[in-house]
Amino acid sequence: MSDVILQAKNLRKEFGGLVAVSDVSLDIQQGSLHSIIGPNGAGKTTFFNLISGKYRPTSGQVIFQGHDITHMPLHQRIHKGMGRSFQITNIFPNLTVLENVRLAVQAISDKTFNFWRSAAYFDGFIERATYVLSLVGLEKEINLPANLLPHGGKRKLELAMLLAPDPAILLLDEPTAGMASEQVPELIDTINAVRQQENKTIVMIEHNMNVVMGISDRISVMNMGEMLAEGSPSEIAGNSVVQEVYLGQLYDDVDEMAARGGPA
Amino acid sequence: MAQTRPISANAPARSANAQNVSFVASLRENWLYWLILIVLVLFPFIIGWLSGDSPFGTPRGDRMVMRGESVYAQSVLINIFALSVLVMSYNLMFGFTGVISFGHALFFGLGGYLMGIILEFGGMDPNIGLIVALVVVLVVTGILGFIVGIVSLRLRGIYFAIFTLAIAEMGWLFFRGLSITNGEDGLNVASLPEWLDPARNRIMVYYVGLALFVLTFVLIRRLVNSPVGSVFQAIRENEERAQVLGYNTLHYKLFSITVAGMLAGLAGMLLAIMNKEARPEILNVSVTVDALLMTIIGGVGTFTGPVIGASGLHLLDTFLREAVVTIGPITIDIGERWTLILGFIFVLVVLIFPYGMVGTWQRLRMRFKRSK
Repeated sequence: MSDVILQAKNLRKEFGGLVAVSDVSLDIQQGSLHSIIGPNGAGKTTFFNLISGKYRPTSGQVIFQGHDITHMPLHQRIHKGMGRSFQITNIFPNLTVLENVRLAVQAISDKTFNFWRSAAYFDGFIERATYVLSLVGLEKEINLPANLLPHGGKRKLELAMLLAPDPAILLLDEPTAGMASEQVPELIDTINAVRQQENKTIVMIEHNMNVVMGISDRISVMNMGEMLAEGSPSEIAGNSVVQEVYLGQLYDDVDEMAARGGPA
Repeated sequence: MAQTRPISANAPARSANAQNVSFVASLRENWLYWLILIVLVLFPFIIGWLSGDSPFGTPRGDRMVMRGESVYAQSVLINIFALSVLVMSYNLMFGFTGVISFGHALFFGLGGYLMGIILEFGGMDPNIGLIVALVVVLVVTGILGFIVGIVSLRLRGIYFAIFTLAIAEMGWLFFRGLSITNGEDGLNVASLPEWLDPARNRIMVYYVGLALFVLTFVLIRRLVNSPVGSVFQAIRENEERAQVLGYNTLHYKLFSITVAGMLAGLAGMLLAIMNKEARPEILNVSVTVDALLMTIIGGVGTFTGPVIGASGLHLLDTFLREAVVTIGPITIDIGERWTLILGFIFVLVVLIFPYGMVGTWQRLRMRFKRSK
């Protein structure tokens, strides 16, 4: 567990005069679940967008599996084994659940630009899509139009679309955003199950500290565009600087966790 | 750790037996299409037999005169074929890929004008001229579609639509003012090969039109059901998501716009052959608007919708325009109020069938199936 799969080196992003991410460095270990937490406006999502290629950094580098991918466009990173999800649900609403995932499988195949054969003829795509859907527990809904899924189902569908091309690393941007709190444990279980079965590296932004503490190997805390602290869940829970930052907004979360006797 | 498993997408080689089975299955699934095709192939003879008029025209001296029910009905259907190909091509771009263009008339008009100019001024044998025209039309509309498609990288949605409108209007103004094609009067296309001259051999024009219509239908159906077609639909649904999945969406949009443009060019050629002329009206924005309305009325993003929209409106246009209806003391000359009546029909159809005729029917059937 000592290989670094993804490395951010002094990443910096300025919007006009505003420094959104200020020289952040981070190493993600292969096979780990690494969470990034922090209050609103800490720069978590901007940092994610730098790693995933939506934004170009003002300075700094992104190294993925030993290659510098700082300037690689979005759609090529998928082919290199990087998958990311969005805070807002982002699916193809009028296509079926299966077709949503099938498209994600097809995207990384070299047989994509075929315009004569029926797509249904490519059994491998459908097989893989069905398998991934069973991983996230949507095997019964495969023929439903995606917009008829409940919100939790849509988040699972996104996870399946993310897993479909078999990426080496998953970047999850607040996977539980907008979910009713009683649905959260189910999704977290799904993420955990996927991680163990498929042996994925996962980087996850999360707002909800309770969620993060239970399943993470490492946690990084961001605030005001800077990386404040990094450590195991128990180190983070005991870190006085982190508690200070969270004192206002998320104090209750930390408190509650301490009351339960630390992370599980 | 985290080995990347190869994802096999190999289409397995299927045995001849399996192919036979799938042929029977496809026959059972598509029987209605096959039936319609057979009727269309026999159509000139059926009408000829019913009316007693020759499907080849009536002989007078040593030449044929294009008179009689069958020959007239063929001309109506040839127009429907040309319109349907135009509307199907528009639907490929608009209904399946989600690209809204107001400039489709440019491709349609160029098909007619380029063929006319090559045949009239090329000085070639008409048969060779026709082949040259076919190649030139496909190449020019293809290149133009490609260029227009590249602009879609920078302009999206309504801005792209306005851009295409501007380009098409420039084409209209250009040909309206071009003196070698007689400006507003249009270019007479007299140098057609004899076998494809609608004034002598209409039935051949009919079968050429039918072939183009069937090929376009099959091509679009296969294209949309292919992996490329599924990406078209993904772009229509959510282009950004398709990009994040790893698709270079520009390539797919270019492909869709280019194929649509080429098909529209062929439709324009067919119409110019049938009318034996190319007039600036075929470049007018009203052609695009008609195509758009026919797509919407028939069903956006369906295979048969454009055909139903195009044939329905053309048949109404043909038969109601001359009708005079007398209800009691009031006599209505429909021809005079035709556009008003057409407007009412549009409003009614859109209200009754919010997803077009075919689209609404499919949704109803799906809901019925699910509730069962």
